[in-house]
Amino acid sequence: MNLFLLFLSALLVNNFVLVRFLGICPFMGVSKDVDSAFGMGVATTFVMVVAAAVTWLIEHFILAPLGLPFLQTMAFILVIAALVQLVEMFIHKTSPGLYKAMGIFLPLITTNCAILGLAIMAVQNAYTFIQSVIFALGAGLGFTLALVLMAGIREELRFADIPEPLLGAPIAFICAGLLSLAFSGFAGLI
Amino acid sequence: MARLWKNFVNGLWNENPTFRIMIGLCPVLAVTTEAINGIGMGLATTFVLVCSSALVSLLRKVIPEKVRIPAYIVVIATFVTIVDLFMNAYLPDLHQVLGLFIPLIVVNCIVLGRAEAFASKNSVVSSILDGLGMGLGFTWALTVLAAVRELLGSGSIFGWKLAADGATTIGVMSLPPGAFITLGILMALMNMIAARQKRRAS
Amino acid sequence: MVVVLSVIAMVSAAVLSLVYGKTSVIIEENAARALESSVLEVLPGTATVNMIRRSPDELGVDDPQEMREKGQETTIIYQGVDEQGQIVGYAFVGEGNGYGGVVRVLVGVDEATDQVLNVKILNHAETPGLGSRIEEEGFRSQFAGKTVDDPITVNQDIQIISGATISSRAVADAVREGLQDTVRIYRGGE
Repeated sequence: MNLFLLFLSALLVNNFVLVRFLGICPFMGVSKDVDSAFGMGVATTFVMVVAAAVTWLIEHFILAPLGLPFLQTMAFILVIAALVQLVEMFIHKTSPGLYKAMGIFLPLITTNCAILGLAIMAVQNAYTFIQSVIFALGAGLGFTLALVLMAGIREELRFADIPEPLLGAPIAFICAGLLSLAFSGFAGLI
Repeated sequence: MARLWKNFVNGLWNENPTFRIMIGLCPVLAVTTEAINGIGMGLATTFVLVCSSALVSLLRKVIPEKVRIPAYIVVIATFVTIVDLFMNAYLPDLHQVLGLFIPLIVVNCIVLGRAEAFASKNSVVSSILDGLGMGLGFTWALTVLAAVRELLGSGSIFGWKLAADGATTIGVMSLPPGAFITLGILMALMNMIAARQKRRAS
Repeated sequence: MVVVLSVIAMVSAAVLSLVYGKTSVIIEENAARALESSVLEVLPGTATVNMIRRSPDELGVDDPQEMREKGQETTIIYQGVDEQGQIVGYAFVGEGNGYGGVVRVLVGVDEATDQVLNVKILNHAETPGLGSRIEEEGFRSQFAGKTVDDPITVNQDIQIISGATISSRAVADAVREGLQDTVRIYRGGE
């Protein structure tokens, strides 16, 4: 498959958050202001790309040759958890500035289902190594895009006069619905 | 006895994971196009929740503090894989529909959250009841959301055709935007009910 | 600390391999049965289904080694036989790269005329409402009557679904590529 199409599909048409419903927890939790949304997005994209590469290697050099498909979920989630820890330590040591910006988001990423979902999807679709990485990059940037857009909307919502029962999460979900509706316009992109 | 009962009903309403605490929302949105899928996903999660809560509670004195999170993840991943394999073998149609979201039960914050916040500190019986309550609270939330979407989106409920042939259904309700909007409106409804309860109590 | 964790991991791996051993047989049977009932759909009049396996060497392709490297160890086609023992036709599973992943189709071919009888979409992950329309009768019926000599290419003899070029092309690719191999297998290089 054309790499650019794969990228575009993961970024817009099959946006992880708004179309595939992966990573809804951080999408709702960390979209209150644009800056932290952007930080979370970048941190997630980074972990996604690394996780896609590592889980691909594990699937094709350990699980598949040894005939252990039933350990896939277990192996992937443990690898992702360990990876997040490593990335956290690495950034902490090498770049304190970046750590200050991204640090608080990193522990949250382990339980972001977008990462595990991405790894499993790459195996199910039989992507090559390059395809997996491009797929992860598109998905991560798509996640960032959705998060930043949502944060922008929610910053404006603060000044809106909203009926009491809808305050907070309910109105945010309805906005996400409208955003998702807008994204469905990308479906005819190619 | 009364305390055990409280553990159980806690998840059904007061701390309902979907409507009140708002965790584990990915499957809530993704698989709720038909009511039957909502029930299937809910029960699969309930099974994992009850089993992992029980085991984590049993092992709470054995597992060292420092490695507790990886240990919980291994326990949860084991039960998730068991559910995945059994559903694939005995309920292949449902397995096909839920697809990716069965392995993703591993990262459902409800499961790890209950292991860490409740099961690691409480007796086995309370932990099982807590898991059961949370799981069933999750299940009914999923089922209600799915039933609403199925009714509006496909004009049927649990696969039973209700709308007349050729009647216009609101197709967007089965699509992703419908999931977000329905959940938002249902949450607002729950908030209204809770607010009314509170007013009556005071 | 490490000991406890290792014991837990080992017990869990043991339990899982036990469960996997028990269920994998049933899972395979289910898949085979599901495929069999699909074969009945694309080859009307079929009473029993036989499986025909061919290794790359027996296929008579130009480069059997290349096929093996691509992981295509054996090609399986299905032979539909009616109640009188007459061969109705053959069916094969084709794959094409769609928008959200691999599109798998089952294609029934008439024994007497080598024409495509029916195409059934086995699974896909295309965008609902757009790409998913490849499941519709109107699109699938275009393939009926096609033979190896037809181009079976979108925008030539296959009308695309508007807004779903990639999905449409995936189905056409799957049918075209599989059809040649299949006819070659049952005609035995005539």
